[in-house]
Amino acid sequence: MASVDQLTAAGVASAIAEGALSAVEVATAALDAISARDADLHAYLEVTPDLALEAARRVDERRAAGEPLGPLAGVPFAIKDNLQLEGTHTTCGSRMLEGYASQFTATAVSRMLAAGAVPLGKTNMDEFAFGSSCEASAFGPTRNPWDLARVPGGSSGGSAAAVAAGEATLALGSDTGGSIRQPASLCGVVGMKPSYGTVSRYGLVAFGSSLDQVGPLARTVRDAALCLQALAGGGPDPLDATTTGAPRDFLAHLGPAADAPEPLTIGLVPRLLEAEGLDADEKSALSHARHVLADQGATFVELDLPHADAAIAAYYAIASCEAFSNLARFDGVRFGAQVGAPTLAEQTSRTRAAGFGAEARRRQLLGAYLLSSDAYERYFTQAQRIRRSIAADLSRALSRCDAILAPASPTCAFGFGERSDPVRMYASDLFTVGCNLAGNPAISVPLGLGPQSGLPVSAQLIGACHDDARLLGVAAALERGHGASASAEPAPVAPAFLGRGGELPA
Amino acid sequence: MSERIQDILSRWQASIGLEVHVELTSLETKLLCGCTLSRNAEPNTHVCPVCLGLPGALPVANREAVLAVARTGLALGCAVERRSTFWRKHYFYPDMAKNFQTTQGPVAICMGGSVEVELDAETARERPDAPTLRPAPDGGYVTRIRIRRIHLEEDAAKMVHVGGAEGRIAGATHSLIDYNRAGTPLMELVCEPDLRTPAEARRLVEHLRQTLLALGVSDCSLEAGSLRVDANVSLARAHAPELGTKCEMKNLNSLKSLHDALAFEVRRQAALLDAGKAVRQQTRHWEPTSRRTIALRTKEAFDDYRLFPDPDLPPILISDDVVERLRASLPELPAEKSARYVSQLGLRRREARMIAADPALASLFEAALAVTPETPATPEAPATPARDLATTVANVIVNLRPAHGCLAAAQVRSIAQLLHDEALTFAQARDVIDAVAPTGEDPARYVDAHGLRQNSDREELASVVDDVLARSEDQVAQYRAGNTKVVGHLIGQCMREAGAAGNPKLFSALLRERLDAQGA
Repeated sequence: MASVDQLTAAGVASAIAEGALSAVEVATAALDAISARDADLHAYLEVTPDLALEAARRVDERRAAGEPLGPLAGVPFAIKDNLQLEGTHTTCGSRMLEGYASQFTATAVSRMLAAGAVPLGKTNMDEFAFGSSCEASAFGPTRNPWDLARVPGGSSGGSAAAVAAGEATLALGSDTGGSIRQPASLCGVVGMKPSYGTVSRYGLVAFGSSLDQVGPLARTVRDAALCLQALAGGGPDPLDATTTGAPRDFLAHLGPAADAPEPLTIGLVPRLLEAEGLDADEKSALSHARHVLADQGATFVELDLPHADAAIAAYYAIASCEAFSNLARFDGVRFGAQVGAPTLAEQTSRTRAAGFGAEARRRQLLGAYLLSSDAYERYFTQAQRIRRSIAADLSRALSRCDAILAPASPTCAFGFGERSDPVRMYASDLFTVGCNLAGNPAISVPLGLGPQSGLPVSAQLIGACHDDARLLGVAAALERGHGASASAEPAPVAPAFLGRGGELPA
Repeated sequence: MSERIQDILSRWQASIGLEVHVELTSLETKLLCGCTLSRNAEPNTHVCPVCLGLPGALPVANREAVLAVARTGLALGCAVERRSTFWRKHYFYPDMAKNFQTTQGPVAICMGGSVEVELDAETARERPDAPTLRPAPDGGYVTRIRIRRIHLEEDAAKMVHVGGAEGRIAGATHSLIDYNRAGTPLMELVCEPDLRTPAEARRLVEHLRQTLLALGVSDCSLEAGSLRVDANVSLARAHAPELGTKCEMKNLNSLKSLHDALAFEVRRQAALLDAGKAVRQQTRHWEPTSRRTIALRTKEAFDDYRLFPDPDLPPILISDDVVERLRASLPELPAEKSARYVSQLGLRRREARMIAADPALASLFEAALAVTPETPATPEAPATPARDLATTVANVIVNLRPAHGCLAAAQVRSIAQLLHDEALTFAQARDVIDAVAPTGEDPARYVDAHGLRQNSDREELASVVDDVLARSEDQVAQYRAGNTKVVGHLIGQCMREAGAAGNPKLFSALLRERLDAQGA
């Protein structure tokens, strides 16, 4: 056996269950891969060898004692640094929370631990998840494993890069406006935003409470589904009042298309597929996706999402308002950085001025303005109206198909500093924010490398609300078709990192 | 002396509104987390990630708190909204862990109710239009106060300022924060400015307090802060189309403070208006020691709390079934109870109202009437029907509270029976009660054991009276000459003769009977 980066989550779990590998061996190899690779990448803000080895030892002890193993027993995973895990620091990529020790563990993380997964550490992100490039991390950006001069995307850039570079088998991200799907696309891995209310947000440091979802990043659709099963299969979380009781068998539709009772119907939205600013490589990836889905027996139906163009404006209004509110608690009184001053008001101002980076300040100022009594009706109320229209559009469209095919990102990975204009950066969320507004599940599926850029390209599939299992089934069909056509691994580890460290015992 | 309120109110109409905050102390846990409610616990021992506002923590609404507010609304004639939402109200202050308060927006759990309160004849003088209002039985009047809304919100943490005078923030070197109180479920009731006098405001708070106690949603302690009252008042000419400029006073922590602060404000504002000056819209603080209000801050502009619906909390949905179930579970409210005591049990209004107002007294009263007497009734000594004892039982409960401990229902019943049978004087009853309240002993047994039972045998006492009269010629002559006070001396003689166990009332009656007959 070679490197840990060759194994899927399903592969690790079965190798450990069969006794071919011990969990400690896998954890040790994963930690070794991180130490060999992460200096170039900076995917991790904190690596937790003690927690990893302790969790791995517990798995091995259970196996030795003949006790049942969890479905992810021994699978190494990385955690975005906005998810709380006791024994780690949770900084959200911000000076404001530098050195902040978690006081409790997020439900999503504890469910992964309960499934036997092994925590490797916390991954880099745009500060408080405000960004699409990881450049807004206060602790320096993460690099794209396919081209170190380029961004990994964001805000879950560290998690996407860690999986793409073989520094983790699975990773948890959070997606408020595309923060899982866009970096997954730029790094060539699978990234899924589940339906709103599927995964508990308890312990996820909130950005936009009505938009945030925790979700998996993985190298195969099946791994993503296994991860989601661990995250949400246990049902709603009594600690998160927004979790729902929707069906939770996420592995139900992963089998070959021949098993499906009816051929797939895929929705095509010209407004999205021919959008301005969509680059040639992404366009060709989408037409490739159409072909391989057709090969899998899918039929296509043309649809419209008439309010799609208003999504970005509505999203930035709502997300900024919620961010303003959620980040108000960072005042330096109870936790995090504090800059002293003679009065409380001054202390609050100075602490926040020093603790937050430019993008975090911009979003909060925007939110504070939009929620002010003068602006509320004009912007916030209007944005909520658009939000309802977008949800109605998606619901109507998805009553006619199994999934909508769309881009995840308008471009492949871009260079550092290339998008310094925030409005241009916001525009890259065009294809992703609609699902956050409407609550629909969506997944980015990697489709190899673009012929012009040589960088990962992808397609996004959007599913009906609370039918995440069906969406995963469509994603599996796309992945299967792509694999057959390219005779390649679904999501290969970036070559520059493949096999560097992480060797497993023979 | 300053001008009387009633004279001012003959020139100016006061419009008084109240905001009443009630901690739902009867609940077990906080509004948004599972921490237990505590009042005197060590600081910061009843806290968790949610009520500390730690990053990543999420709120989950306490269902019981929602139901308590809905029940209160039903008791106060409000409509229970089938769908309402929690909102976030933002302001930066360390007593609010998240820097926003979870409260409700334009639609509260309860909207638009009203209550009727009764004012007595004395306070009727303060209200020039009292004769036009519905009269109350004792010469007072009844007025109706509209309730705008009742909503649910979380309480703030408690801050303790150290180093300044009297714990004030001015001059303090540092402040300590106790988050035990943070997240305590708080019900806020807002009434329309329908109150016209400070006495009405006090009466309304009394009425609300009694209703909430009967509902069992809170201990309603003004001193401990589980019931807090903010009052606002403005003056305008009667029938003016608009209200005047109002001032608000926060945290009036006693009924007296509420009344006196409003009375002060009425005088202060009237003096300004009479002098042709304007009232400035202010938040003012009542200082009980100097008996005046001082300006805390002047509202130049509207505070922008950036309210918006809380995305972490799903809408509060209350079905028709739940509303009907809550309505059916409402207890008899103090006003109804008091009316029943008067009409069915013959209590006087004063005792009826006092007992009905206090759930502990009311349950003691009803339990005492329900007690089955220990000695079985015989044809010679039939048990007194409970209804005939009701006024005596009420009298014992209201007027004979023990110095220590409290009486059990059976003890109350027994004392009442002794009084009813004239086996005990009222003065003796007080001593007996003080003796048996801490021990739980049966009063009848105590009375017998200590030889206190009064002799009310008419024939025995009559012979004593005859003996005393026979040897008191001087006093008899004085009585006949018109000095009826000598009866007191004669009663004393009879008591001495009978060895203290004679019934003085009966002696008195027998003496007068004979003296008046002989004199005729």
